[in-house]
Amino acid sequence: MSLSRTVVAPLSGLDAAAALGQPASTLVRGGPFLFVSGLAAVDPATGRLMRGTIMGETRMILTNLRQLLEAAGSSMDKVVKVNVLMASMLEAVPMNDVYVRFFPDPPPARTVCGARLPDGCRVMIECTALA
Amino acid sequence: MMRDVIAAPRPGLDFRRHYGHHQSPAIRAGGLIFCSGMLPIDPDTGERRHGTLTEEAHCIFGNLKLLLESAGSSLDRLVQVHALIYDSIEYDVLNRVYRQYVANGPPARTVWTAQSEAGFKIQLDVVAAA
Repeated sequence: MSLSRTVVAPLSGLDAAAALGQPASTLVRGGPFLFVSGLAAVDPATGRLMRGTIMGETRMILTNLRQLLEAAGSSMDKVVKVNVLMASMLEAVPMNDVYVRFFPDPPPARTVCGARLPDGCRVMIECTALA
Repeated sequence: MMRDVIAAPRPGLDFRRHYGHHQSPAIRAGGLIFCSGMLPIDPDTGERRHGTLTEEAHCIFGNLKLLLESAGSSLDRLVQVHALIYDSIEYDVLNRVYRQYVANGPPARTVWTAQSEAGFKIQLDVVAAA
């Protein structure tokens, strides 16, 4: 059995992988799933990384994620798994406070961990959704 | 296609209730089960079970077995594991305990160092076949 693999072109200004200069596609559809690259807080107005508080970066990322998913025919309530990578786990609570407002009830599965992130990002969020 | 929410198989494993994490214990979709980051939490009380990496791993695999079996899967059906440990110096310690739980054709695995909440020494992020 062979399943399709399609690179989905992201909306302009929301190409997070390109904003970090990475050889990565922001969205790839594979079989029934849509795989989203780790998103940094890119301001769609400038196409550049935004520097902010953990709450500001989380809000920017999830606002962009919602737009990316919907433009690709998916949505926040089709997300099955989210990985949240944080520069400091001390900021996990304010991250969660913003996160709660973006995902439905019941929410997707999620893993949160602290990691060294590129370009001074405080948080990066990747996810897998049903296409 | 639908996603199915897998509820906590025991009261202690509802991390949302105990710790406010906005997450479901696991989601089944597309023939796979995606589990939230598994931590050494007492499955009955929800208390954190800090210990050595080995002790924490035993607790995590116990919780993972409960969760996967409640979803109709099992440890034998693990497809992919991300093992996040606090320090790579414990890599061999991880392998010794890990081996006990994946006797029949181990799943794909990646290990790296990362911080987990509350200073836990290990967290497992897994995908299993439904």
